[in-house]
Amino acid sequence: MEFSNSIVTREVIPYFSPVIKSLLSNAPSSLFNNLEEIRLRINNPLILKVGEDDFTITKNGEVTRDVNRGYLVTSEDIYRLIASISDNSLYAFSEEIRRGFITVPGGHRVGLAGQVLVENYDVKNITNFSGICFRIAKEVRDCSLTLYKKICNKEGQVNNTLIISPPRCGKTTILRDLARLLATGNRAINPKNVVVVDERSELAGSYIGVPQLDVGIRTDVLDACPKALGMIMAIRSLSPQVIITDEIGSLADIEAINECINAGVAVIGSVHALNLEEVRARPLLAKLINSKAFKLGIILSRKNGPGTIEDIVRWEG
Amino acid sequence: MVKRVSQLRKLRWALSFLEKEMSYNYTPLSSAMYKTYQFTPAPINKIFQECSQYLTEKSGVTGNEALTKALRKVAPSLELYPEDIDLILASSNQLGMSDIYEQKKLFNLLQENLKIQEEKAQNDLNSNQKLWSYGGFILGSIIVILLI
Repeated sequence: MEFSNSIVTREVIPYFSPVIKSLLSNAPSSLFNNLEEIRLRINNPLILKVGEDDFTITKNGEVTRDVNRGYLVTSEDIYRLIASISDNSLYAFSEEIRRGFITVPGGHRVGLAGQVLVENYDVKNITNFSGICFRIAKEVRDCSLTLYKKICNKEGQVNNTLIISPPRCGKTTILRDLARLLATGNRAINPKNVVVVDERSELAGSYIGVPQLDVGIRTDVLDACPKALGMIMAIRSLSPQVIITDEIGSLADIEAINECINAGVAVIGSVHALNLEEVRARPLLAKLINSKAFKLGIILSRKNGPGTIEDIVRWEG
Repeated sequence: MVKRVSQLRKLRWALSFLEKEMSYNYTPLSSAMYKTYQFTPAPINKIFQECSQYLTEKSGVTGNEALTKALRKVAPSLELYPEDIDLILASSNQLGMSDIYEQKKLFNLLQENLKIQEEKAQNDLNSNQKLWSYGGFILGSIIVILLI
């Protein structure tokens, strides 16, 4: 899953403080192939997560795997990064901050760590930021082509599909590409009206409500919308043929999925789990699987890189 | 001195507009500054024009740094005293960089401080005017006495 390192140069590096900007700009561009995250933690070394490996850059600009030699991030680096991602307007991003991340143009997600202010067990604000996880959005076109053919039956109908995957196995990238392929169609499979319910703004990477990543020409995105609410809203107002959503798990999600399926709308969802046994160990998900709502289970791993299809399970109804 | 009072008043109006733009419309700082520039009469509007320009360039400056640069550049063409400028800068350290309640507090503080400056400037102006009128009266009296 390599992608153009010019995205990092063009869309990511300009946000950083002058010191880190200079370190990243002078690093060999090959470092940015497969770059997944840039981590900043106050008084700790700058870390670049490249595939399975962690790299750092020393204050002299040397790229090394010895992270202890890395440039130590200062509070000013964090402050300036937050200032630039929020356009010096944190007050305009209060909702995003309460959710713990800000999405920037290009669909990149900036996770925030700091002092969390809680009121009635609800996050009110995050202040005194101490860490930032700049997660680089990846668009890998056609990465789900094999899956796309498998989830559509001979009549071109979409099977209700559950993607089971541990974190960092390409689940979100695959769901995004599936949305694009389903909304585009091909000679054998008619294009579909797709709704992406994107609670965490990860699938479409929306910035001010506008998808930054290609989710297809017949796809509507309900950005930052709670999954259960979004699925019901979509049925009522957007006449979808397929609904795609990420990380299902609550009772409300499961009830909404059943509602969609009963309304004749196909659902493609995902859950965080290593394998089917882990899913079955969670009572709500076990009930969902036993109800035969989903016809297909796709298990992903990183065995041959992100997006490896480990197994395909068919649940006959 | 008349101009200083007038400029301090216009600056307070402009800051009030900026605050409303930020707190009611959630307009990002660079655009809010530009709108304030359009709303405010010259020469005070230059502060907001410059600040908006620095922020729009996205050269990595913070809101406070942009305002500092703008004030330092525009100040020589204004009648404001250095203490007025310092007071604005001291109160706007966290400009844009906190939630809306904190931003409102920042603007309240700015308004209060500038109001005090404006009242002081007005008092100075009044006492100067009194001095001139007393001076004129005394001078007139001296001329009359000399003529007698």
